[in-house]
Amino acid sequence: MGAKVLIVDDEPDVAAYLAAALRANGHSPTVAHSADSALEQLRRARPDLICLDIVMPRESGVSFYVRLKKSEEYTSIPVVIVSGVGQDGQLDFRNYVADESVPLPECYLEKPIKVDEFIKTIESLVASSTAAERQTGK
Amino acid sequence: MSAESRTNRPRRLTDMISQALFQEVPFSIAVIDRDYNIVEANQSFEVRFGDWRGKKCYEVYKKLSQPCEECPSAQVFETGEVVVADAVGVDRDGRTTHYVGHVAPLRATPDGPVEYVMEMTRTVTGTRSWQQEYQILFDRVPCYITVIDADYRIVRANEAFRESFGDVINRHCYEVYKRRKSKCPNCPAARTFRDGRLHRSQQKGTGKRGQEIHYAVSTSPLARSGGKVGHVIEISTDITAIKKLEHDIIEAERLGAVGQTVAGLAHSIKNILMGLEGGKYIVSVGLKNNDKEMMAEGWEMLERNFEKTTSLVKDFLSFSKGRLPSLKMVDPAKLAEEIVDLYKDIAAQSGIELKAHVEDHIKPAPLDPDGIHTCLTNLVSNAIDACQMSEKKGSQVTIDVREKGDRLIFEVSDNGSGIDYDIKQKIFTTFFTTKGGEGTGLGLLTTRKIVTEHGGEIKVDSQPGQGAVFRMEFARSRLQSIHKDELKTEKEKTSQKET
Repeated sequence: MGAKVLIVDDEPDVAAYLAAALRANGHSPTVAHSADSALEQLRRARPDLICLDIVMPRESGVSFYVRLKKSEEYTSIPVVIVSGVGQDGQLDFRNYVADESVPLPECYLEKPIKVDEFIKTIESLVASSTAAERQTGK
Repeated sequence: MSAESRTNRPRRLTDMISQALFQEVPFSIAVIDRDYNIVEANQSFEVRFGDWRGKKCYEVYKKLSQPCEECPSAQVFETGEVVVADAVGVDRDGRTTHYVGHVAPLRATPDGPVEYVMEMTRTVTGTRSWQQEYQILFDRVPCYITVIDADYRIVRANEAFRESFGDVINRHCYEVYKRRKSKCPNCPAARTFRDGRLHRSQQKGTGKRGQEIHYAVSTSPLARSGGKVGHVIEISTDITAIKKLEHDIIEAERLGAVGQTVAGLAHSIKNILMGLEGGKYIVSVGLKNNDKEMMAEGWEMLERNFEKTTSLVKDFLSFSKGRLPSLKMVDPAKLAEEIVDLYKDIAAQSGIELKAHVEDHIKPAPLDPDGIHTCLTNLVSNAIDACQMSEKKGSQVTIDVREKGDRLIFEVSDNGSGIDYDIKQKIFTTFFTTKGGEGTGLGLLTTRKIVTEHGGEIKVDSQPGQGAVFRMEFARSRLQSIHKDELKTEKEKTSQKET
């Protein structure tokens, strides 16, 4: 069964690309173009994973990420940052969030992404998060 | 009273006066004959130089065993004229003593031969040592000091000055300082000659090895009485190193901006690449599944991103013209008002009030009018966008122009959506856009580049939901020095063309 992935990116083309790639691989993506709309969708249906851009109008991806990780409800949802702000595939996240109590994102993928790598990352993160939940459920 | 006593009394009086004068004047007096014998001396002389009876003048004055090489007394015997000379002797206790000797001929009758000379000496030992200290101070202070006369010739110059500018005495100051053939315009010394007051200015000169010397000079009258100024003293501090540092800082800032620009360009291209890759991917999935809708979607995406590439290249080319700001004296208020006229209607259509608030008496400043126009355009259009994003009513965008000390400040403030902290960290350093598909993210980067090229600073204050304030600050002193450099480069270019 495919994974439910919430894509948060203000750039419509990027969101469409990620959604198409996920759909083609049997997953169910939903798209939000801002942090506000992402929160609404979260309330409606809990995704297995969130793909998050950093630079967005009004509330940035970083600020949205911090809110997410500080909320009890959503903190366990794995987050993949998909952005162009890093260099050589690396993102020094502590440059953006110095607060050590906020955990680092599960993964960072640099734009432009490679579809195979993207899908593999998503699938393995969803699998390990589901396994972890099952264990805590026991 | 007899006739004799009447004629005798003045004679006696004259003798009494002569005697009193001889003993009491604040000079040491000795009377010397042609053979250098001291035949008479006053008490002051004896107190200073010791016993003189039966001795030669050179034995007493200088404790020598033969006549001095240059003897003022011999000169007076020969010429019959008064001689005044500086001399160094030895007092009765063997200490060196500086004195000024005034040697006058003594004759029996006005036309008679010189029978004796009278040497009156005044001690200047204290003055001399003070003069020496003064000379050391004059030469060794880490400043250039020159004294110039009303003809603008240097009559004195200290060691530091001579070291940098060479042999300068009696040459015109403008020739020495600047290798000019005529007086400099805006000469601070000329102002001091005119009004007798202290004047300061910053100047650039040429040293003896042709090196450029920047100096901060103050000119003051040498006379204190308030009468006509005969000489002016010029004291200057060498600020070449400071000027170089200032220039290096501006240069470093420019280079820094270039580096950040390249990083920003990479970021922007990544986004477009992502769109192109996306379009390609969707078209290929559409082809595989024979899904026409998907093919069309992918194709549109490709077209959009090709278009974006074109507009980015265009923007980038205009950004990377790499020209230096072309500074002109302009009225800062006018620049602000122009932008308000341009954007007032566009803002009003979205229910936003745009206005300029300009402080009174803002003086013209050397700015690149096109550059500042671009900066204000970028800031104002960003502010309008921020207001459009905000759901609040009564949106306002204000351009403030004001002065604070040496700094000219342009401020664009809005009460729109505000900026997140982490975005604030990045807005000036990368091609940042929060406008989705619109905008290339070059606006603030270009603004920062232009401000930096003016030697200025751009800052932002903002809280999410609270609006934003973008402040461009320009130090007038830096604007002036960039302006001067620019004029110099232009001059050099013109002279190269001519030759």
